[in-house]
Amino acid sequence: MIDLTKSNKNLWKEIMEEECGDIRHCFNCGTCVAGCPASEADNPLLIRRLVRMVLLGLEDKLLDDGTPWMCVTCTACEEMCPMGVKPFEVGLAIRRWQSRKDETYIPPAVCEVFETGHTQPVEKSKELRKSVGLDEVPPTVAKFPDLLKKFQKMLKETDIVKNNDYMFKE
Amino acid sequence: MPTDGDVGRHGLPDHLYEIGKQLTMAKFGLFLGCNMPAIRPDVERAMRLALPAVGVELVDLEGCTCCPAFGTFPSADENASLAVSAWNLSVAEEKGLDAIVQCGSCYSSLRLARAKLLHDEERKKIVNELLKGAGKKYDGKSSVRHVIDVLYNDVGPQKISSAVKKPLKGINAVIQYPCHTRFPNEVLGFDNPGRPRMLQELVEALGAKVESYSRELQCCGGAGGFARVAYQDAVKFAKKKFDAIKRETHPDLIIVNCITCLMHTEKVQKDLNKGNDELSIPVFDYAQILALCLGFDPKEVASISVIPKDKVIEKIVGAA
Repeated sequence: MIDLTKSNKNLWKEIMEEECGDIRHCFNCGTCVAGCPASEADNPLLIRRLVRMVLLGLEDKLLDDGTPWMCVTCTACEEMCPMGVKPFEVGLAIRRWQSRKDETYIPPAVCEVFETGHTQPVEKSKELRKSVGLDEVPPTVAKFPDLLKKFQKMLKETDIVKNNDYMFKE
Repeated sequence: MPTDGDVGRHGLPDHLYEIGKQLTMAKFGLFLGCNMPAIRPDVERAMRLALPAVGVELVDLEGCTCCPAFGTFPSADENASLAVSAWNLSVAEEKGLDAIVQCGSCYSSLRLARAKLLHDEERKKIVNELLKGAGKKYDGKSSVRHVIDVLYNDVGPQKISSAVKKPLKGINAVIQYPCHTRFPNEVLGFDNPGRPRMLQELVEALGAKVESYSRELQCCGGAGGFARVAYQDAVKFAKKKFDAIKRETHPDLIIVNCITCLMHTEKVQKDLNKGNDELSIPVFDYAQILALCLGFDPKEVASISVIPKDKVIEKIVGAA
C-alpha cells in the first residue's frame, strides 16, 4: 500500500518546468508507453507510471528510479500524447530534478562537454580525419582554445556548474 | 524564416521558385556535432564534397560545441542547456545563415531549443544574459535544417538525379528514417511523420530500388540512454527490425541519415552475428552514397565501417 499521507503534494511543482505540458491532464491512457522503444526493456521505461509518481508526490520512490535515463529521445511519445503532456519533456525534467537532488545522477558527459566542448574526443581523431582528406582538427571549439575558455566562462554562471563546481575541470 | 508548408516555405508561385532554385546556390552553416567529426569523419568528408556538387554551399561554423546532446545539459540544467544551444545557433546567426545538420539528435536538440527560446521571452533573456559574458547573442533568426529537408526541398530529387554519374543500377536499398526528424512534427517536422517519403525519393533519385518493410519506421534504438543503460535490450529491440528486413527484403545496403542510426545499425549487426556473418548489410549515410554516385573517391567518403562495404562499393563505382 502506498501511504499518501507521507507524500509530497507539491512534487509536480518542483519538477515541472515551463517546457513541460500540464501533467495534471494525463489520464494514464498509455499511448506514450505503446510507442516507446525503451518500454520494451526488461526493466522498462514506463513514462505514464513516472507521471503518476510525480502527481502522487512519491518523492523517495522517484528519486530511486533510474528508468528516466533509458529514454531513447526519439520523442514519439510527445507526438502521440492526446493530452499535450509532452512526456519526453517530463522525462528530461525528472532527470534534472534527480540531478538537483542527488549529484550522482549528473551524467559524466555534462562535465566532458564543459571540459572539451564535445562528448567525443574530437582532438584525438587527427589521423583518421587526415586519412579521409579533412583538416586534422575540425573547425569546432576544438580548434579555438580561446572560444572554449569563453564557453566555460558562460557555463560557470549556470546553477549546475555553480552548485557542483568540484566536478568541472577547465 | 518560414518552415512549414509548401507555400510558406518559399512564398512564391511554384514555377518562379523552381527557376530561382536552379539559379541560386543554397548556403548553410555546417553544424558538425561530436560523433561525425570524431568517429565518422568520412561522413563529414562526404557532406563537404557531395552537397556543394548539387548546389548546397557549406560554410564552417567556427567554435561550435556539442548541440547539447539530450544526455548532457538537457538532463541536468535547462538554462545551461539552452545557453549551449544558443551558443551554437548564434554562430550561424552571426553569419546570417541557417545551420544544416546530419545528426538526428543535434537536429532535434537545436530545433527544440530554438522553439523554446522563441516562445519564452523570459527564458531568452536569461540565456542571452549568459551569452553576454561570452560576447555572444542569439535573436532567434537562424534556424536549423536537416540534410534530408534541404536536399529534398531546396535541391530536389530531379536535380540530384541529373547530377548522378554512377547510378545505383540493380541495387536494392532499405531505409532507416531518423526519428529525431519526425517528432514532434509541429516543431521540427518537414516530412509526413506517419508516412515519410523524402529519404526514399532521394534514394530512388540515385537509381536504387527501395524495398519497403513492415518495421521501416521503427527507431534503431541507438540514441539516448537505452543502448547505454540496457544494451542487450536495445539489441533485442533492433533484432525485430533486422528480422523484418531479412524476412521481407533483399537489400544490398541500408541507407540512413543520422550518425547514431549509422553507428548503431552497424554495431548491432555485428553483435547479433556473434561470430558468423549471417547478418552483414552495409550501412551508408545518404551523403556517402550520394558522394559515391557523384564519382567521389570511396577512400575519402566511405572508408570507415564495422560491416564491410567493399563489395557493394565495387558494384556501384565499378572495379578499380
